[in-house]
Amino acid sequence: MKIKYTEALIIGGGLAGLRSAIATTKKGLDTIVLSLVPVKRSHSAAAQGGMQASLANSVMGEGDNEDVHFADTVKGSDWGCDQEVARMFVQTAPKAIRELASWGVPWTRIKGGNREVVINTKRTTIKERDEAHGLINARDFGGTKKWRTCYTADATGHTMLYAVTNEAMRLGVVIEDKKEAISLITENSQCYGAIVRDLKTGELTAYVAKGTLIATGGYGRIYKQSTNATICKGTGHAIALEAGAYLANMEAVQFHPTPIVPSGILLTEGCRGDGGVLRDKDGYRFMPDYEPEKKDLASRDVVSRRMLEHIKKGKGVKSPYGDHLWLDISILGREHIEKNLRDVQDISKTFNGIDPADEGKKGWMPVLPMQHYSMGGIRVTPKGESVNIKGLFACGEAACWDLHGFNRLGGNSVSETVVAGMIIGDYFADFCSRNDIVIGTTVVEEELKRQDDYINYLLSLDGDEKIYDIKDRMRIIMQDKVGIFRNGKDLDDAVRELSELLEKTKHITVENKCRLLNPELEEAYKVPMMLKVALCVAKGARDRTESRGAHYREDYLKRDDKNWLNKTITYWENPDDLEPSIKYEPLDIMKMEMPPAFRGYGRKGQTIENPLSKKRQDEVDRIKAEHKGDRYELQEKLMPYDLPNGYKAKNERLGVSYE
Amino acid sequence: MLRDNIVESILGKTTQKRKSRIPAKLDFLQSATGLILAIFIIFHLLFEASILFGKDSMYAITKMFELDFFIKDGSPIFISILAFIIFVIFIFHAFLAMRKFPNSYREYLRLKTHAKLMEHSDTNLWIIQITTGFMLFFLGSIHLYIMLTQPENIGPFASSDRVYSDVMWPMYLMLLVSVVLHAGVGVYRLIIKWGWLDGENPKKNRLKTRKIIKIVTIIYLIIGLFSLITYIKIGYEHRDNYGERYKVVSNEN
Amino acid sequence: MSREITITALKYNPSDKNSKPTFAEYKLTETPGMTLYIALTKIKASIDHDLSSDFVCRAGICGACGMVINGKPRLACKTLTSEFKDGKIELLPLPTFKLIKDLSVDTGSWMKNMSIRVNSWIEAKEQIDINKIEKRVEPEVAQEVFELDRCIECGLCVASCSTAIMRKDFVGAVGLNRVARFQIDPHDKRTDSDFYELIGDDEGIFGCMSLLACEDHCPKNLPLQSKIAYMRRKMVKA
Ligand SMILES: Cc1cc2nc3c(=O)[nH]c(=O)nc-3n(C[C@H](O)[C@H](O)[C@H](O)COP(=O)(O)OP(=O)(O)OC[C@H]3O[C@@H](n4cnc5c(N)ncnc54)[C@H](O)[C@@H]3O)c2cc1C
Ligand code: HEM
Ligand code: HEM
Ligand code: SF4
Ligand code: F3S
Ligand code: FES
Repeated sequence: MKIKYTEALIIGGGLAGLRSAIATTKKGLDTIVLSLVPVKRSHSAAAQGGMQASLANSVMGEGDNEDVHFADTVKGSDWGCDQEVARMFVQTAPKAIRELASWGVPWTRIKGGNREVVINTKRTTIKERDEAHGLINARDFGGTKKWRTCYTADATGHTMLYAVTNEAMRLGVVIEDKKEAISLITENSQCYGAIVRDLKTGELTAYVAKGTLIATGGYGRIYKQSTNATICKGTGHAIALEAGAYLANMEAVQFHPTPIVPSGILLTEGCRGDGGVLRDKDGYRFMPDYEPEKKDLASRDVVSRRMLEHIKKGKGVKSPYGDHLWLDISILGREHIEKNLRDVQDISKTFNGIDPADEGKKGWMPVLPMQHYSMGGIRVTPKGESVNIKGLFACGEAACWDLHGFNRLGGNSVSETVVAGMIIGDYFADFCSRNDIVIGTTVVEEELKRQDDYINYLLSLDGDEKIYDIKDRMRIIMQDKVGIFRNGKDLDDAVRELSELLEKTKHITVENKCRLLNPELEEAYKVPMMLKVALCVAKGARDRTESRGAHYREDYLKRDDKNWLNKTITYWENPDDLEPSIKYEPLDIMKMEMPPAFRGYGRKGQTIENPLSKKRQDEVDRIKAEHKGDRYELQEKLMPYDLPNGYKAKNERLGVSYE
Repeated sequence: MLRDNIVESILGKTTQKRKSRIPAKLDFLQSATGLILAIFIIFHLLFEASILFGKDSMYAITKMFELDFFIKDGSPIFISILAFIIFVIFIFHAFLAMRKFPNSYREYLRLKTHAKLMEHSDTNLWIIQITTGFMLFFLGSIHLYIMLTQPENIGPFASSDRVYSDVMWPMYLMLLVSVVLHAGVGVYRLIIKWGWLDGENPKKNRLKTRKIIKIVTIIYLIIGLFSLITYIKIGYEHRDNYGERYKVVSNEN
Repeated sequence: MSREITITALKYNPSDKNSKPTFAEYKLTETPGMTLYIALTKIKASIDHDLSSDFVCRAGICGACGMVINGKPRLACKTLTSEFKDGKIELLPLPTFKLIKDLSVDTGSWMKNMSIRVNSWIEAKEQIDINKIEKRVEPEVAQEVFELDRCIECGLCVASCSTAIMRKDFVGAVGLNRVARFQIDPHDKRTDSDFYELIGDDEGIFGCMSLLACEDHCPKNLPLQSKIAYMRRKMVKA
């Protein structure tokens, strides 16, 4: 049996994991990054839209700063986020993007002078300042007051991931790909590394480290339909869960209205932004019936909900891949599509053989709302450490830090990954340099042996169940019962069925008995992990009897600040349990810089107010009224927060210097 | 010097810690020698084609190469000198280009299977290039050796006798086909290799270049074939007078 | 509408001493819009649990799924089964890369070695202040760098290149393109002579024989032909 020692172990080589590795390496720590796939293939590469940072270079971003970004983020989260974390984030994001620029991300730059843009489906000309020529540009995104989303054409995540990987390689970070962490090594609620399976040989190795950081991304694949990559299975969440760590807000799952069917590849919101419409099986444009005001352009969660509602009425188009609806952009005309929606056309042509510019029904693209992003994750403190397991850190989509609360804004996620990598990476590095490894080899060997035995056990099983069927069933349950519309009965069924499935995984047969390179065996150990994650989502959703952000209960339509201004904590008490245990961590309104209020969009008057909200608001108003000095000092008075490594320094902006 | 070579052969770096510039020079020379040879062939085949316009014009051109405008009646030695220079370039080019040949059976097999599976146009062109290059190594050497050693045996009758009566035409046929293909493909690849005609739209210009080169290559093949046929014809008619030299009878004729 | 298609795949596990290379044949019913990703997923779930292949994004963005499809190196997730009129599809692992199992090859290690070999990162030689307004870059230059940065390290250029097939140490179009990318990036302070140190040899720029299979198979349509020529011109003078 093999044991490998390192100072910092990072599980996950997406943007979050690699940026953290840079932080630890810069502090002189031996760092190993593990990844299921070559790191540049991590799912961060799929982000197209962009990264939010309040640079305020473009005229449409003028006046933007940390405060505006903060407010947008908190509102977006439906007040579910940690405001302290949101502050840390908005302060560091401009630094993150400038650092990335110096590492070679070819951000799209501003050209001084006039340029033509589409605002509210109308062609408009805006004039960029000449002083801004050559600075990083930004585009408009949902839920933001200013144009703040910086981008590299349609491949933002890709260029970011490549730049960060390149920098990590320059610093000599040890990156090991095709390695899967399958369990954590813990003793007395402290984590000492992980047991890792080599996906090229099937061999198990114990990686023992002073500190372990999980940055394994999302868990979209527990759903039948998802925009996520095939590797987004939530195994990172699962190993933390199995080690006893708390997961938070797992029911907060974001759905996107227009991925294409069946491949699940995202078609940008720009389709509808430019005037495209949704149609049902009769070719009828149904959105105006539901949302007379904003029609097809209502917010992501609203459109997704309406689409499903319409399908439930029997108006969906039947296909071998289930019911779907149509997205029609052919009405925009070929010229517009070939100029402005080239990628959409490319995806549709390649994957569906449909040219969306073809007139009439021929050009309609099949779409269906699908799982897109996981707001919840491993519950960590603002420093990124697990709230209940020492030495275990988490960041990126895998963590519930918690920046996004119950709904994340587009562009805030890739931004979070690098910012968290900078901040949490730094705290993590401090932890690793402070602590020594105080664990006996017997503990390590025991855990290694346990995993080894577990694999033998899986191979020895001799039951009638089929692991592929169990997986399919799980994904269908999640899709149908823990999807966009949720209600008590379905969720109850879901939790029950999922735990039955978890039990069934003990009665499978793995036909191929080979221990090495055996895809079936991999399924056999991954599916139970996925089921545990799925159960956290389902049970969290079942018990949360309110609607907040992306979590929408048909039987509890209101956001309930009185009873539900808290985080759902799910955890696995005993290895043999078939359901997670659940508890809640309250959010303290009296510490908020921005007490709960109306988001400014969405349904009005749908909130059960908490009396403390008003109390805190009055307090905030009073402090603001009495305040003399700049906005930084005011902020400090309202809600002080810490940042490491000088990240609290002010950010310079065009025209306003450091103000 | 030896020390330097030892260092470079082991490390690929010069003793000044810099990477050797030799590979750059070799790459450049490979192209340069190829280009010189190609230009030579372009003119060579045209000159040989003078036979299509009659024995006199071929004779005149031969004499021109013997520098008859310089020394009275010219001297075959100049042809020897030219042949020698070309021979050197030719050998040097072959030596440089040979580095690119598959150098073991496995490499060759891999290449062949790969190219066959993939059916990729430019890869196939390259296979033509190394095959013709390989043939040229032998055929070209024979021809050049003859030109080097018997420069006096050039002319409407002498050449035709060689082609027909010495039964050299099969060799010339192969030489012609291989050299024209080799030069055609070679020039196309030179243009791509150094991006000479990239312009605004390299993808489109590449297709254009390929088309033009294809046409020129075919034209050259036709000219060459007709010249060869003419040599054979003259050689056949002249078979009974083998060894006789051509004389310009008179200008009035 | 739906027909039966036949997919043949090379099966071989080099780490298993008893494994013999065989061609497995799978028959399945084609569904509308079926990609090879969908087809192979189906085969793995219901016909052959043991078939290995690599898919990550299944959207043509991550570069994981390169394989030889009816002779041509392509991205499997971007290949529709309906393209093949006779319904016969033969799949082979990408050549040049080390075979892991069946259709799965180790592009990762190859790309990592290449990246380290060509120092695939910005060498700035100076520390920047991230609190300050960023360095200006001409929009056109940023766009040009982006065009070359779009490479997804799928390795199709390497797998289609006869030079790479014959010479194991050749950096491939992907490596040469990478150097060109940094050469034009204003943040990078290296000179041409510095770049020469990285690719100035027969395993680098002078090994490329302008076969252009890279250009013709690159799924991202990168301007490999002109960028390799560009680097060659620079390096001959460096
Ligand atoms: C289609 C799409 C478009 C998006 N567009 C945007 C956008 O425009 N803007 C935005 O802000 N956000 C966007 N997002 C969200 C954003 O891309 C992700 O949230 C973010 O990139 C996650 O980064 P990460 O580093 O946390 O995880 P990932 O990039 O997913 O990386 C996870 C890493 O963990 C490794 N890993 C996983 N499990 C294990 C294990 N058990 N052992 C070892 N390694 C493991 C994986 O190999 C991988 O390297 C988009 C998401 C999708 C799906
Ligand atoms: C300076 C060197 C050369 C001289 C003086 C020379 C001269 C000649 C002459 C006189 C002929 C006519 C046939 C004959 O007399 O045998 C001929 C034909 C030919 N030569 Fe050369 N040659 C030279 C170099 C080359 C080279 C390097 C090549 C290519 C590798 C070449 C290819 C040919 C071909 C293909 C023909 C046949 C032409 C036709 O059929 O039209 N020659 N050459
Ligand atoms: C001994 C005979 C010859 C051999 C073995 C030979 C071989 C080769 C080979 C293998 C190449 C390809 C090199 C590469 O791809 O990098 C090549 C290139 C070339 N050859 Fe030849 N050749 C020979 C003679 C000639 C002749 C007679 C000509 C002129 C007509 C010629 C013109 C060219 C040109 C223009 C190129 C392209 C140069 C480049 O790619 O840099 N070759 N040759
Ligand atoms: S250059 Fe093109 S073919 Fe080569 S690895 Fe990059 S994307 Fe793939
Ligand atoms: S195919 Fe190979 S030889 Fe050069 S032009 Fe492309 S790298
Ligand atoms: S799976 Fe990502 S490119 Fe095919």
